[in-house]
Amino acid sequence: MKLNNYNQRLLNIEQRTKRFLLGALGAMLLALLLIAIKQDYLVRSTTIYFFAPNAQGLNQGMAVKFIGFKVGSVKDVSMQPNASVRVRVSLNDEYVHLIGQDAKARLIKEALVGESVVEIIPGSQQVQQVTQNSVLQFERGQDASSIAESMASQLQPILTDIQQITASINNPNGDIQKTLKNLNQVTGDLRETVKQFTQLGISGNQKLESVHGKLDKALNSVNTNLEMMDKAIPRLIDKTDATLDNVQTATTDIKRMAADSAGELPAFIHNSNALVQDSQDMLEGAKQSWPFSGWFRKPEAQVLPVDGYVPPGSP
Amino acid sequence: MMTMQQSFSLSVLSCVLLLTACAQSAPVRNARLELAAEHSQNAQRAYNRGDYHVALRQYEMALQVDVAIENIPGIAINTLNLARVNQSLGRPEVANAYLDKLLQDRALEYEKSFMVAAAAQKSLLVLQQGDVKEARHWLEKASLWCDGKCPLASVIDNAHAAIALREKDTDQALRWADRAASASRNDSLLEYANALRYMSEARLMRGEFTTALRLADEALAVDKSLGWPEKIKQDLLLSASAYEGQGDAGQAKRFRERASRIATR
Repeated sequence: MKLNNYNQRLLNIEQRTKRFLLGALGAMLLALLLIAIKQDYLVRSTTIYFFAPNAQGLNQGMAVKFIGFKVGSVKDVSMQPNASVRVRVSLNDEYVHLIGQDAKARLIKEALVGESVVEIIPGSQQVQQVTQNSVLQFERGQDASSIAESMASQLQPILTDIQQITASINNPNGDIQKTLKNLNQVTGDLRETVKQFTQLGISGNQKLESVHGKLDKALNSVNTNLEMMDKAIPRLIDKTDATLDNVQTATTDIKRMAADSAGELPAFIHNSNALVQDSQDMLEGAKQSWPFSGWFRKPEAQVLPVDGYVPPGSP
Repeated sequence: MMTMQQSFSLSVLSCVLLLTACAQSAPVRNARLELAAEHSQNAQRAYNRGDYHVALRQYEMALQVDVAIENIPGIAINTLNLARVNQSLGRPEVANAYLDKLLQDRALEYEKSFMVAAAAQKSLLVLQQGDVKEARHWLEKASLWCDGKCPLASVIDNAHAAIALREKDTDQALRWADRAASASRNDSLLEYANALRYMSEARLMRGEFTTALRLADEALAVDKSLGWPEKIKQDLLLSASAYEGQGDAGQAKRFRERASRIATR
């Protein structure tokens, strides 16, 4: 009786083990199937090649697009004996008829931030489509970092100019400082002239004494004013200096801000891009709704006017 | 009698019905058709501003999409436009190949208006290459399809004038060009200026330099308003020839100098 129970338990264990193994095998097959789908092993594809001078930005698995649709992927990037880079691309057969032999492969970034893709630029001959092992021409598109570098190189001379202008204003031998000094000197000369004129008045005619007294008072008043100006002008120059210092500081701040924001610029541009895209989507939606739908004309293909003129000199 | 409340309800109902009628959505084009139309429109803008290489690329992309979805009018329009752009880029053999694709297509049936345009364009293209007989052949085909009433009637008249000029038949050239000028004066300034230029050339051949100069001047004014550098250059050269005929070498030299400064491509 005990032996029977024992055998029965052994049988149960054996069955469970079988089920477990079958389950594990099924899971493994499913995983393999998913990998095969992911790796496009089940899709009929055509292999083409292009050669690049270097492998920068080219990675295995990156998407290959044609007029915005994914049509394949990069399968292999390898170095050749002549130090060029051979890129093997697998194209989905569904789209191969759209790609001509004279099409080009271009490495681009779809947005300022993000991964690069290989864009197929269609050729002009629709009849001769690419075939297995065709070779396309390759070119590199402009990426975000080169755009940012270009902007930075354009901003740099402007900032340098501002710095030079500020330094010129601050320079003691500069035109502005010289003008202020000359003004100060002219004021001093004027005070001296007034003093001489006062002395001349004292030694003048007695009959003009009363007039002289009044004139003297007036001149004294002028003199006082000039003295006040004389005291005020150095203060004014000090203030001008301080103002110019402030301008210098502000310029430095602007430069620092520009340098600080340079790193954030691509993200900012990327966000702006997303915002513009959203706005465009909203506008597209609005354009298709009443009453706006009647306001916008849909793009239509039109025949260019036939030109009925043949120049006399030709051929 | 209708009560106040009933009248109000009826008004509201009428407004709702009216709005519903207005809110009919426009027929929706599929995404690829939209894409082709967008490429074609971008190309046209590029062509109008003289950016022929961009126009070429955009028309090629539009044609590829149209071929993929068999949009027959789109295929015809973009093929014709590719022929025109290639002609503007100085590639007559490519332009010719595009026109042949359209004219010799036995699988697709295109609208007559496209066939007229293709035949007229082909006629002008072969005439430019010096083949008067072939030009006449295609022009006859264009005339047959056009039936004298199509929008390209003035182009066909001008092409007749061009052929007559090649054959030194100034009477016929003047007759056709005059007809083209009358037909296009209010419809197509491009063809009107072309007709004026042909008349000017015919007058030059006859030695009527003053009239030739006046016609070239008028053509120049029209072409400047249209902004076509190639045509402006031709007008200036015609004026130079007219001045030369009048014995005014100084003015002729001035006009030639002006013409030489115009970059046409």
